[in-house]
Amino acid sequence: MTNEQPTRNFCGRTRREFLWQTGAGFTGTALAGLLGDDGFLANQTVAADGVSQWHNPLAAKPPHFPAKAKNVIFLYMYGGPSHIDTFDYKPAMKGMDNKTVDVKTFGRGGHKNQGRIVETRWDFAQHGKCGQWVSTLFPHLATCVDDIAFIHSMTADSPIHGSAMLMMNSGKILSGSPCIGSWSNYGLGTVNENLPGFVVMLDPRGGPISGAKNWSSGYMPATYQATVMRSQGTPILDLKAPDGVSREMQREMLDTLRGYNEEHQEPRIDNSDLAARIASYELAYKMQAAAPEAVDLSQEDAKTIDLYGVNDKKTAVFGRQCLLARRLVERGVRFVQLYSGGNHNDANWDAHGDLKLNHDLHAGETDKPIAGLLKDLKQRGMLDETLIVWGGEFGRQPTAEYAEGTGRDHNAYGFTMWMAGGGIKGGVSVGKTDELGSAAVEDRLHVKHLHATILNQLGLDPNRLSYFYNGLDQKLVGVEGAEPIHQIIA
Amino acid sequence: MLRLLLLITCTALFLAGSLFSSTACAWDEQEHSPEQIKFFETEIKPILVEHCFKCHGAKGTPKGGLSLTSRSGLLKGGDTGPSISLEAPSESILLEAVNYESYEMPPSGKLPQATIAALAKWVEMGLPWTPGDEVAHVEPEEHGPPPVNDETKKFWSFQPVARPNVPAVGNREWVRNPIDAFVLHGLEEAKLHPAPPATKTALLRRAYYDLIGLPPSPEEVQAFLGDNSPDAFERVVDQLLKSPHYGERWGRHWLDLVRYAETNSYERDGEKPFVWRYRDYVIRSLNDDKPYDQFVKEQIAGDELPQVTSDSIIATGYYRLGIWQDEPVDAEQELFEDLDDLVRTTGEVYLGMTVGCARCHDHKLDPIPQTDYYGMLAFFRNVKRFGDRSHESVLAASVRTLGTEDSIEKFERLIREHKEATKDNQKELGKLDRRIKADLVGVENDEWKAEQARIDIAKTRIGKILTQEDFDRYVALTAERDRLRDFRPPGNEQALCVSEHGTTAPPTHVLIRGNAHVEGDIVEPHFPTVLSPPTPKIVPPGDGINSTGRRLALANWLTGSENPLTARVMVNRIWHYHFGRGIVRSTSDFGFQGVAPTHPELLDWLASDFVDSGWRIKRLHKLIMLSNTYQMSSQPNEQALAKDPINNLMWRFDMRRLSSEEIRDSILAVNGSLNRDKMFGPSIYVPIPEEVLAGQSRPGAGWGQSSPEDRARRSIYIHVKRSLVVPMMANFDGADTDASCPIRFVTTQPTQALGMLNSDFINEQAEVFAKYLVANTGSTLQEQVAIGLRRVSQREPTTEEIERGVQLIKSLQQKYKLSPEVALKQFCVMALNLSEFMYID
Repeated sequence: MTNEQPTRNFCGRTRREFLWQTGAGFTGTALAGLLGDDGFLANQTVAADGVSQWHNPLAAKPPHFPAKAKNVIFLYMYGGPSHIDTFDYKPAMKGMDNKTVDVKTFGRGGHKNQGRIVETRWDFAQHGKCGQWVSTLFPHLATCVDDIAFIHSMTADSPIHGSAMLMMNSGKILSGSPCIGSWSNYGLGTVNENLPGFVVMLDPRGGPISGAKNWSSGYMPATYQATVMRSQGTPILDLKAPDGVSREMQREMLDTLRGYNEEHQEPRIDNSDLAARIASYELAYKMQAAAPEAVDLSQEDAKTIDLYGVNDKKTAVFGRQCLLARRLVERGVRFVQLYSGGNHNDANWDAHGDLKLNHDLHAGETDKPIAGLLKDLKQRGMLDETLIVWGGEFGRQPTAEYAEGTGRDHNAYGFTMWMAGGGIKGGVSVGKTDELGSAAVEDRLHVKHLHATILNQLGLDPNRLSYFYNGLDQKLVGVEGAEPIHQIIA
Repeated sequence: MLRLLLLITCTALFLAGSLFSSTACAWDEQEHSPEQIKFFETEIKPILVEHCFKCHGAKGTPKGGLSLTSRSGLLKGGDTGPSISLEAPSESILLEAVNYESYEMPPSGKLPQATIAALAKWVEMGLPWTPGDEVAHVEPEEHGPPPVNDETKKFWSFQPVARPNVPAVGNREWVRNPIDAFVLHGLEEAKLHPAPPATKTALLRRAYYDLIGLPPSPEEVQAFLGDNSPDAFERVVDQLLKSPHYGERWGRHWLDLVRYAETNSYERDGEKPFVWRYRDYVIRSLNDDKPYDQFVKEQIAGDELPQVTSDSIIATGYYRLGIWQDEPVDAEQELFEDLDDLVRTTGEVYLGMTVGCARCHDHKLDPIPQTDYYGMLAFFRNVKRFGDRSHESVLAASVRTLGTEDSIEKFERLIREHKEATKDNQKELGKLDRRIKADLVGVENDEWKAEQARIDIAKTRIGKILTQEDFDRYVALTAERDRLRDFRPPGNEQALCVSEHGTTAPPTHVLIRGNAHVEGDIVEPHFPTVLSPPTPKIVPPGDGINSTGRRLALANWLTGSENPLTARVMVNRIWHYHFGRGIVRSTSDFGFQGVAPTHPELLDWLASDFVDSGWRIKRLHKLIMLSNTYQMSSQPNEQALAKDPINNLMWRFDMRRLSSEEIRDSILAVNGSLNRDKMFGPSIYVPIPEEVLAGQSRPGAGWGQSSPEDRARRSIYIHVKRSLVVPMMANFDGADTDASCPIRFVTTQPTQALGMLNSDFINEQAEVFAKYLVANTGSTLQEQVAIGLRRVSQREPTTEEIERGVQLIKSLQQKYKLSPEVALKQFCVMALNLSEFMYID
């Protein structure tokens, strides 16, 4: 990626990627002469061993324009939190509980024109200088509203989890496209070679629906996909040497391996893949030290641990993940995505049955950790360059899903997401839903605008960042393009 | 693209009645009073400027082809026709759109009611406009798509294949067959020399991996090295082509192309019933050297052929391999997503044409108009969706019992009877089970979980909760249950296959912007016009076959003598899989944006030879492999590197890394545990680490356990679950299955190193390897290391290489107090990480 518009011939990819797709990359021949003119050489760094050339496809690349945010932490509230019970205050619904009204909804139960109102079960109050309404679900977060921009008019194309999640993560309701973290990896690379550029942490109750499709690199090479990191135990798959193999012992094995591999490489010196392969073992060796250090909370003081709620059973898991997210971005991990909620039903925000039980649980688990993250980043001066994104794949309906109970069905016609830090204005709101919160009516925005904003803050032009695939310059925001949400950009 | 769309719109307008255009032309500025024009200027223009011009203004390409900067622009309209109806103002699309009745404009939110009313009033007035203030939108010329005309039809790949003359060359001794003549001709023109022949060991290894995806055994290496007869290599090639494992290697290439997976993706990622029969069909077809034209026909229209066979039905599983949304947000749109998958895959795989790009508009880079996309789609328009949510619906639309009518009837009756008997048995047995279960105490609860233990437990209850008769019946019912399990009705098989709605298809409309709800003109099934194709001859197959015959017409054209692409594309793919790159590097794109062939005449010679000799793939393999071009060394050469660094002229053979499947299969092969003998059948499950399963919404769901024997089978038999990929397959760039994968990536990443050093899999296999070495070689360390290295590299290691391995083992024992067995195992881990193991010269 250079600052120039990529040449048409190569369809937005670097020459190397282009040649690769077309079969040439296999040989890893001395491509230097051919590749010298598009910044490829500048993207080479010397391998971890300090000698071999190491063509890291994840080498840091300059953005299209100066970035406001260096990193992104996407707090994914899987299942779809209810906007009208959290941040989208609807006083007009007061006293309407159980009344049947005409309202168009579309959720898992299909299209409906009428429904029984479920009044919110939580009180709302105004907070901060901006006077943002927040329900009692988020007492800690309520103290941070002056740093947050709320988007109350978000819309998505699907009210069904599987496809809606793919849309929130990859911009398309069909599977097979790279997710936003992969686009970030592709566009910017990573500044710390010893750690992945894109990390996902999951809820211990299980992954989201469609599992790995949500953090896949789709049609891009696997290099750009997320690395799933665990907050307990070995952080990355196969990171730890097997029992009985010490670091010194592995070093010795690697040295022997290197001896063989260098001899093999010698008569094939033009094949840079062989050098890259040798270097990749050194990198793996370094990663084995770097990743456990990154997730080692023993270096954090008691105050910080408490700020994130790591010692409280209820908030321990998400608190730990939020704290790890800070540690990862500190170490240069570009894109971190945390899942609140996993598995099915009430193990995530999908409150079809008992709204109160469900949202008390999930808000209770995440409120303090998220507030802690915002405060911690701010006090360390990191919030300015760390973009926080909060939300789920859709919101929830104002009416009940069943004849009885408080459960709400899915709602992609209008819902709330918020962003903070990373060059986003604090204490502002954009857009409105109607007085029941059933649909966005003012400044309606789409998931693609959210994606455009994230890329824009990272210094990437959402309408220029493209990847040639299937005969088309594919973009995260779709071929028609999308503007970032200017109203919330500082 | 837009220019053409507008053109179409204008033509449509013209045809639909010159009413609008005449109205527009007849508009007299005097028609509107100064008050009306004032109204436009003060009330309407500001609305347009504020809410509309950003997307429908004079700058850039107006969205949807609609420009609102002039009165004529409004009347002309966009993709969906005129935005204003002067005859019926209230029916104007513009007013519908601002009322959020069809389009929702502006998308950022509905305008206030008063503003909408003002717009309605303006339309009612007949669109008064300030004279002279109209800004016409001018489309930039250079962005038009390539039209279909004599010029674009001349593009090389659209031209018929003609057999070129084999060129004369200087160094005639080097030419073993015509392939060499074409290649050498290019080299001589560039004043380059072909690389020397590869060593015998390198050549043998190359050939083995190439044809069967496995390394030669040490004995096979010895035999070849000792055979100095001139046809030694030819006999190896013959033997490999006869090997049943040939189909397992080359079948995998085909499975990549047809996006083969065994589940549907999305929320449930449900299993596709009997899909593995398609995989087996591919392996068998290749092993049988089925002519490629027949292979194509069976997959496209196996159910409509004059001779329908079980194989040809199974082949149509091709239509059922893609992703399937069982819970669509928009059912109509989803139908066209499925059909798009078929158009796209079929266009790319068989024709090397990216027809799929013309779904929403004319192809921007190739001369493929949108009407051609829908012309292709029409061949599939009558195909039933994979299913309609439920598993039963999938069975109804996509599964069929194979066999003759009588045998099917009999088979289905047996199945029914078997089902009923099983149900009865379960009911009766369940009653007794529940009675006993309620009475269990302590450890009995655990024992009860094992079915074999139940009779013994029941026995202890005689005279208590069971009578003797109860117990006897329990024993009898248990025996009956086992019998029913063991004796399922034999005979007929079921297969995943295509089906159609009937003998007539619904009309196929061009969908404006690909939107299923905005239908344009009707198109008939037709082939891409740039190929100057014949009109399809569509004949319903009759004979009780419930389909249109459209797919058969497509299959016949694809494999017909007039088709310029099918043979070229296939021989190029075969070349690609042999050499790691095609003569046309973009193997699924032979269009304008594709990469021009490095050796166009060679490509055409191969294509015509392929067709002339009956579309035989194995013959082509042999031709290629017996050429000197194939047998060159991969060594670099400074002069050639300087002139042709990416080896476009084929002055050497390119090295390649093993594929994910080859790596896993080779690990099992070199440690002696590969289960080569068991081929075909339902897929197997290899262990997936818990950390990876944790990513599923129901960890472990849809992933079973296979026996140790099954786990040691070749990778092509591993269950392909779209949302859960075996880490090793993902790490080493296995095919992504959501779309056709013509070329695999080859990445080098530290995660590969981590997996190859630390995973349970590699450590278990290294242990097996170490045991193999102890059991099968002499007792000295030197021998064990030598044989170990020989098994991974298929060559004799040097003394130094052996010594280095021995030193490692000794050092591990001394410094880390490892036992000899464990130290040898660590050496084996190291040996499986050698570049020489992973790369082929």
